[in-house]
Amino acid sequence: MDMMWISIFLAVAMLVLLSLGVWVSFTLIAIGGLGLILSENYQVDLLFATSSWGASTAWSLTALPLFIWMGEVLFRTRLSEDLFKGLSPWLGNVPGKLLHVNILSCGIFAAVSGSSAATAATIGRMTLPELRKQGYSDRMAIGTLAGSGTLGLLIPPSIILIVYGVAAEVSIARLFIAGALPGLLLVSLFMGFTMIWGHLHKDELPKTTGHETSWSARIKGLRKLLPVVGLIGFVLGSIYGGITTPTEAAAIGVTGALILAACTGSLSRHSFMESLLGAVKSSCMIGFILVGAHFLTLAMGFLGIPKALAVWIAGMSLSPMELILYLTVLFVILGCFLDGISVVVLTVAVILPMVQAANIDLLWFGIFIVLVVEMSQITPPVGFNLFVIQALTGKNILYVAKAALPFFLLIGVAILLISIFPEIVTYLPTTMSQN
Amino acid sequence: AEKWHMPTPYGDGNLPTQIAYTFAQEIKDNTKGELDITVHSGGSLVKHTEIPRSVKTGQVQIGEVFLGILGNENPIYKHDNIPFLATSFEDAQKLWEAAKPEVSKQLDKDGMMLLYAVAWPAQSLYSEEPVNTLADLAGTKMRAYSPSTSRLADLMGTTPTTIQVPDIPQAFSTGIIQAMITSPSTGVDSQAWDYVNNYTDIQAWIPKNIIVVNKRAFRRLDKATQQVILDAAKHAEAAGWTKVAARAEKDKATLVENGMTVSDPSPALLKELQAIGKTMTEEWTAESPKDVGAILSRYQNGM
Amino acid sequence: MSQIKEKLYQCSGLLSGLCIVIITLLLLAQIVGRLFGFIVPSADDFAGYALASSTFLGLAYTFREGGHIRVTLLIQRFSPVPRKIQEGIILILSLGLLCYLSYACSYMVYESYIYDEVSYGYVPVPLWIPQMPVAIGVIALNLAILDAFIMVLRGKKPTYSEQEDALSLEEI
Ligand code: NA
Ligand code: NA
Repeated sequence: MDMMWISIFLAVAMLVLLSLGVWVSFTLIAIGGLGLILSENYQVDLLFATSSWGASTAWSLTALPLFIWMGEVLFRTRLSEDLFKGLSPWLGNVPGKLLHVNILSCGIFAAVSGSSAATAATIGRMTLPELRKQGYSDRMAIGTLAGSGTLGLLIPPSIILIVYGVAAEVSIARLFIAGALPGLLLVSLFMGFTMIWGHLHKDELPKTTGHETSWSARIKGLRKLLPVVGLIGFVLGSIYGGITTPTEAAAIGVTGALILAACTGSLSRHSFMESLLGAVKSSCMIGFILVGAHFLTLAMGFLGIPKALAVWIAGMSLSPMELILYLTVLFVILGCFLDGISVVVLTVAVILPMVQAANIDLLWFGIFIVLVVEMSQITPPVGFNLFVIQALTGKNILYVAKAALPFFLLIGVAILLISIFPEIVTYLPTTMSQN
Repeated sequence: AEKWHMPTPYGDGNLPTQIAYTFAQEIKDNTKGELDITVHSGGSLVKHTEIPRSVKTGQVQIGEVFLGILGNENPIYKHDNIPFLATSFEDAQKLWEAAKPEVSKQLDKDGMMLLYAVAWPAQSLYSEEPVNTLADLAGTKMRAYSPSTSRLADLMGTTPTTIQVPDIPQAFSTGIIQAMITSPSTGVDSQAWDYVNNYTDIQAWIPKNIIVVNKRAFRRLDKATQQVILDAAKHAEAAGWTKVAARAEKDKATLVENGMTVSDPSPALLKELQAIGKTMTEEWTAESPKDVGAILSRYQNGM
Repeated sequence: MSQIKEKLYQCSGLLSGLCIVIITLLLLAQIVGRLFGFIVPSADDFAGYALASSTFLGLAYTFREGGHIRVTLLIQRFSPVPRKIQEGIILILSLGLLCYLSYACSYMVYESYIYDEVSYGYVPVPLWIPQMPVAIGVIALNLAILDAFIMVLRGKKPTYSEQEDALSLEEI
């Protein structure tokens, strides 16, 4: 009762502050503080300091500014242009054309980075200006990026799978393997949708004239792709060759990008500083929003709102399918106001027992959670991919969210598919235990 | 009614967290709901490394922490992380009784009061290849996460390598490390059989979690409620020592069930390890001869 | 005066960038160390501290450059006078919030100092040292907001707002 009013009050206060134009990070902190006071906890200052220190020194986040910097460096080289030149002979005849570059590059980069914000920021920095230059629809360029940026969480390595694996005591190695097929599923759903859209909206795509699609052009295109493929291969190789952990791989990525820039002659003192300051702008923005999100999460922990909602669902004795449906709705609603990882952290203790009681496989549930968290990355007002893309394009959060809506729904379709065919998730991990 | 918050570092499947839930429930029942402690497991409210500070400054009233992480503040907090000093639960309990006065005194200085401790199963050796003597480990890389585990890796003739907990499975499968020392529970939690084959039950040390309460928060309670907490703490500590032994056996059995080779250390290996233990105990004593010396003499003289 | 201010904003950005470079070097050192069998003590702790320093030291620069995200959908439709009032209101609110946060973060540093708090990792680092940049960064952001507020009081358009407009014009 009381809690319901507090929740509504906080949600409304957040929307008011946001629409007044208060910065997102400041809003999250203010709402967090308000929440603490409403939970009769008056040590707001101490709690803010402790939670910010904890949030901003997290080892798993150290990769984020490095990947953003990597994107800034690559953006200043010819690499992004080459990426398009190399792929256009291959994609020129495919409906949707170069929009697929967004999806494919995000899918491939997701194998290197563990977070969706880093994936969207790094790839978007390279692809968005080029797509705009070639005359692609803004809305679709942004939508494909917002959607496929979330692949960073599903395709291993993945920060959220690690968080879930630790909390649910599910093997992280298995979770990582389980994410692979659903990742491919999502890539195909996104590409399929883009093809249908491309087929229906030929007028919003540039004319084919620029794209030569003969086989000789294709082979020539492959050569242009060599540096990019080399860089990604270099980083992936260092992870799977046992040289680095996924977190450290970001450092390899930046170094590789700087070396490539130097080799292609686009690295100067000036461009180095520009790329670094560009990275500062994005990573400070994201970093401070994370600080705010962490503080709001702390307040939610004290208030117990997410936990109470989970308990309420637990009390309804639902069938497994109903349970999944309710949880999806719960996560989507919470995901509007909290970031995805916080939602998992805050609810997992209550939700896991009921999931186990319903005989739902914890491995499967991990992938389900990642998919729902991916959805929350692109729902306003709090969605990290939206923030990243707003910073890249200057487009309003709501515009970006609207552009991302079809992809939000497609992730919903993916959830439906893995619910009907759980083997999509469980098949690969079972092949692991046959030794 | 008073509402307290209790952050704990580990998830619900772990023994210390389960005991924390029972502890909170007992207090709620025996105070007829006058003191209601909400357990926030798995670092969901406060990150592990921030829990001591949060209790100290009263941001939360009560909390649980892995004793070893306080080692940098005072060497006495490391007593349960010294390899081969106390390797059976009986010895570990004796060592804890011997260390308690110093630990309580130091916590008291920081505004905290010790309530109870829960031990983990003994830390043992996970490795890709079977280990009969230390020579089998020569040239391998072993996970280290603190100065003392790093020193231990050195003394065992391996190369210490830092790997964060979540990266462990991948570090094994990609060959970044070939060995680590941790408890059978951690092995079960992370499904060690997916990435490593051998478990040698060397029982190097028996670490503990401690549960501390903010002194001011405790003093504000009436005498009767304080007594309820102290009683519950006594029960929790006793339950911890009984349950952990059973837990260790169960976890080892799970490792076997899943195809890992679980073996006792060979006499030769044990001898080598005990020599290392002696060296490390001496080095530990040198860090703070007076306090550590007091703990050691009490422990070795059987109290 | 305005030149000094300019320098300070630059400084905020550069220090933050320097910390990103430090993170890169630390992680590379750890990778190289693993290859050659040496340990970089507490590399993960130091990388974490550099991350916190980078995030906080760059706040002022990012603020001025219009890098912090907000929802401009509604306020863009305001005519000039209400828009100025709106900016004034949110700046004064933000100023209040940031004064409180400056106090909170400074107090954390002070407390770590008097309690001799040390880090839990490999190398015991007195925590007030890596926490100092956090406090400094928040105070710098506080001053940047004050700077913007004074601009609005003088009837000028705050710098962040100009940057936001530049960005959206370029993209429309
Ligand atoms: Na990924
Ligand atoms: Na969201």
